[in-house]
Amino acid sequence: MPTPTDDELIQRWRSEPAPLLPLLHAFHDRDGHLTDDALRAVAKGLRMPLADLFGTVTFYHHFARTPPGQRAPRVCDGPVCRLRGCDALLRALPDATPMPCAGRCDAPIPVLRGAELLVGTTAGGAFGAQGDERGWPPPEAFLRLEPSPLPPPYPGAAGDGSGECVFAEIRTPGRATLAGYRATGGYEALTAARSPSEIIDVITQSGLAGRGGAGFPTGRKWQAVADAPGDPKTIVCNADEGEPGCFKDRALMDHDPHALIEGMAIAARATGATRGFIYLRYEYPDTMVILERAIAEAKTAGLLDGFALCVRRGAGAYVCGEETSLLNSLEGKHPFPRNRPPYPVTHGYEDKPTVVNNVETLCAVAPILRHGATWYRTLGLGDHAGTKVISLSGDVVRPGNYEVPIGLPLRTLLDEWAGGPGPGRSVQAVTMAGLSGGLLGAERLDVTLDEPCLRSHGSFLGAGGIMVFDDTRDMVAVAHEAMAFFAHESCGKCFPCRIGTQRLSERLSPGPGGSGPTELDPWTTEVVDIGDAMKATSACGLGTAAPLITDSLLKYFPEQVARHLAARKA
Amino acid sequence: MNQPIQTPAPSTLAAVMEMDGQEVSFTPGETIYEVSQRMGRQVPTLCYDDRLDPFGGCRLCVVEVEGLRNPVASCTTKATPGMKVHTKTPTLERHRKTLLELVVSENPKATIDPLRGSASQELVQLRTRYGVTGERFAGHHSGQSRTDDANPFILRDYDQCISCYRCVRVCAEQEGDYAISVRGRGFETKITTEFDGLLQDSACTFCGQCVQTCPTGALADRKAMRAQADPEPIAATRSVCPYCGVGCSVDLLSKGDKLVGIRPARDGGANLGALCVKGQFAFDFVQHEDRLRTPLVRGDDGTLRPASWDEALDRAAAGFAKALHDHGRHSTYAIASGRAPHESAYAIQKLIRATSGTNYVDNCSRA
Ligand SMILES: Cc1cc2nc3c(=O)[nH]c(=O)nc-3n(C[C@H](O)[C@H](O)[C@H](O)COP(=O)(O)O)c2cc1C
Ligand code: SF4
Ligand code: SF4
Ligand code: FES
Ligand code: FES
Repeated sequence: MPTPTDDELIQRWRSEPAPLLPLLHAFHDRDGHLTDDALRAVAKGLRMPLADLFGTVTFYHHFARTPPGQRAPRVCDGPVCRLRGCDALLRALPDATPMPCAGRCDAPIPVLRGAELLVGTTAGGAFGAQGDERGWPPPEAFLRLEPSPLPPPYPGAAGDGSGECVFAEIRTPGRATLAGYRATGGYEALTAARSPSEIIDVITQSGLAGRGGAGFPTGRKWQAVADAPGDPKTIVCNADEGEPGCFKDRALMDHDPHALIEGMAIAARATGATRGFIYLRYEYPDTMVILERAIAEAKTAGLLDGFALCVRRGAGAYVCGEETSLLNSLEGKHPFPRNRPPYPVTHGYEDKPTVVNNVETLCAVAPILRHGATWYRTLGLGDHAGTKVISLSGDVVRPGNYEVPIGLPLRTLLDEWAGGPGPGRSVQAVTMAGLSGGLLGAERLDVTLDEPCLRSHGSFLGAGGIMVFDDTRDMVAVAHEAMAFFAHESCGKCFPCRIGTQRLSERLSPGPGGSGPTELDPWTTEVVDIGDAMKATSACGLGTAAPLITDSLLKYFPEQVARHLAARKA
Repeated sequence: MNQPIQTPAPSTLAAVMEMDGQEVSFTPGETIYEVSQRMGRQVPTLCYDDRLDPFGGCRLCVVEVEGLRNPVASCTTKATPGMKVHTKTPTLERHRKTLLELVVSENPKATIDPLRGSASQELVQLRTRYGVTGERFAGHHSGQSRTDDANPFILRDYDQCISCYRCVRVCAEQEGDYAISVRGRGFETKITTEFDGLLQDSACTFCGQCVQTCPTGALADRKAMRAQADPEPIAATRSVCPYCGVGCSVDLLSKGDKLVGIRPARDGGANLGALCVKGQFAFDFVQHEDRLRTPLVRGDDGTLRPASWDEALDRAAAGFAKALHDHGRHSTYAIASGRAPHESAYAIQKLIRATSGTNYVDNCSRA
């Protein structure tokens, strides 16, 4: 295939919906980085100011501006990969740079190189010898392509999958194809004759709430969009999954893409939307291929008539998972979160009524319509409706995605389902909501997995990522890496988060990057004051959640904080 | 045809809210901050400029709304009927102080010369008001001044920058130039231009709007700053820009009897705070040494020599009289200089009409 010219790329994309990101990716994939000339061509082609475009491109950490750029390996140094030897991998691969959690915490360390996602291992102890790089086999030998893992077999009561909703059929071979999906009941819900209001009623009665973090009732969101004036309406699937320790959406899309597409098509019918986007995180290139193939299949089968659905890739920015930042990103604007109100249900994509839903939320829609609201409701324990997929990783014997009934005791998940922390170890702490819910110490593992319980302990379930740290881990180091992540990902729009995440990270830093008091009392006062201002005044959920890390560290691990400060003073 | 008189919708009539326990009516669409200003509240702000779309960045303007868990930014939140707002609780004041302490931890300079720009005192004034000492939250500093940008007009002293993005927004929203943008994200955001270049290589027109909205003096008026060391107080005199026919209102800044800078007037009917590069920065001619201080006439050898006013005026009058006599009234034509004061422009048209009897008169600003 001849290398496309600038003009050909621009012609290919300029009239497509949401063209900026795919056009930039086309140049980035072609050249390995975004040259000045490429930016000039894009600015001219899309008629946007060059300074704006330049600023926006520099917002995304995966857009390289210089060689080797995209061709150099980027190695995950997220919280779990740090436990698994990412430092050694980073040293062994020439030109490698770190990237935040890439959503494969249940598999070997993810490495992006070129347009591919590979996995790297520390197998054979080759990476074990810290610091001595001589005599190692070529690093290439340790990188390979590997499809993302399926969820482990359902470990719940009957072992027959009866407690699951979104995972109920995901392990059935061939489910990712249209034929396989249809053979297991797929698209029955879409093709059944139901009016928009019947659909919304069932979803409302089922108790389905957002699985992307905020937990907003899905039926109410759809109703608001259905009622809102303005056309065309849009369904956006939030597949950004940037929260460290979360990899559930990837599993759903890789192994059950049609479930998502059917959920979106049903949402479109319920709300009167005619266009749809799946906003997919950059780190999932294989998923992009799977989704585009599945969309093409569904289109050919006439299942998407009147609904123009396409996939758009992000370019590395956790905050673009925040729905209004995501919408700005889709529109090609600087991805700062928007001020709310107005909310996306009335002023979303291109200021028109828009549903933004998480992958898992949308995947639950078709099964709920097929089996009924009551069925879904009663999957939960006690008063809690439905299920939640938990991405479990870190120091457990069987990491992976588990679909739990809401209200399940955390202990059951950790010990019975996932095999506990391993022989001779005990769990020291777990994170909640990926990193956004902060830490729970060993004495608080008696919680149940539902929002009321977790919120009563100052945390929340959120998107359902849980990372486990055993008794050998340094929790101040974990907290520091978490805060450094938030500082790296803060968009810089609002003062409390832009400066606060940085100052908190400096206070947790063990090394030369650290600053702040070294006595416990003044240290605590500073950290608490910063955290309080962030929680009360930040403009989006990133800034309000980040201080839960320091709050919970002080609550559960005061003696480790004291040790950290003593070491800093020394 | 007469427009039918519209009866206000009931919701407009019922537009009443409560601020700090006091009932206040508002126009639908008004923000809480705008209401608070009408009510004389002193809600602090740093990212606010009433000409720009509300941004919600500094979060100093947060207020408590009864029934909501978290405070909201008053500059971005519209007032709604029945809303109960508190603008100055101890908790709010504590958060505001923390926010200012965080800002000051990055921007320790306690004094900023007011010649830097119209808004340059905003941060230092809030510092004083909240008693922020600059002793808390020590840490890294993100701003990087562009000492390489030697343009004669705009100092880019980003060491003072607090990332409020007023400059970026004024350039886009008010000027439509889109010359400046935000680079990177989080603590590492920088104010920049395309490819991090110099202003002269960007879309910048040097209108100075960014300078005048910057609340820290990070973007500063280099020309005015030349007079920083002069000991006299700064005086401002309202005038009209002499350059073109728009008639922008300006405040002439002087120290002693020296003109030191020009500032666009926010209340100027024609410009509402805007100016162009000439009106903003090109005033050196006023006190330039090359300026004529006495009339000159040509001697018989054709060279200019100083003369008295009487001699010069006689010579000019004789020249006009001869031209009119030889070639008729339309042989004369007057163009007033745009740099002359308006009184002079008036006088010249009076002169040409009354003495020559022609309407051939113009001003260079019209061209
Ligand atoms: C910093 C931040 C990151 C977020 N990232 C994601 C994400 O990756 N995926 C997601 O579905 N929701 C994410 N959210 C939540 C979204 O804003 C939004 O609530 C969600 O997509 C709505 O879908 P749901 O109602 O189906 O959960 C994030 C929120 C914040 C504040
Ligand atoms: S809280 Fe952080 S990420 Fe959110 S708007 Fe503020 S700076 Fe941006
Ligand atoms: S240069 Fe001034 S106006 Fe621009 S962001 Fe910095 S402080 Fe704000
Ligand atoms: S994939 Fe590396 S920490 Fe999640
Ligand atoms: S003035 Fe409202 S956030 Fe800055």
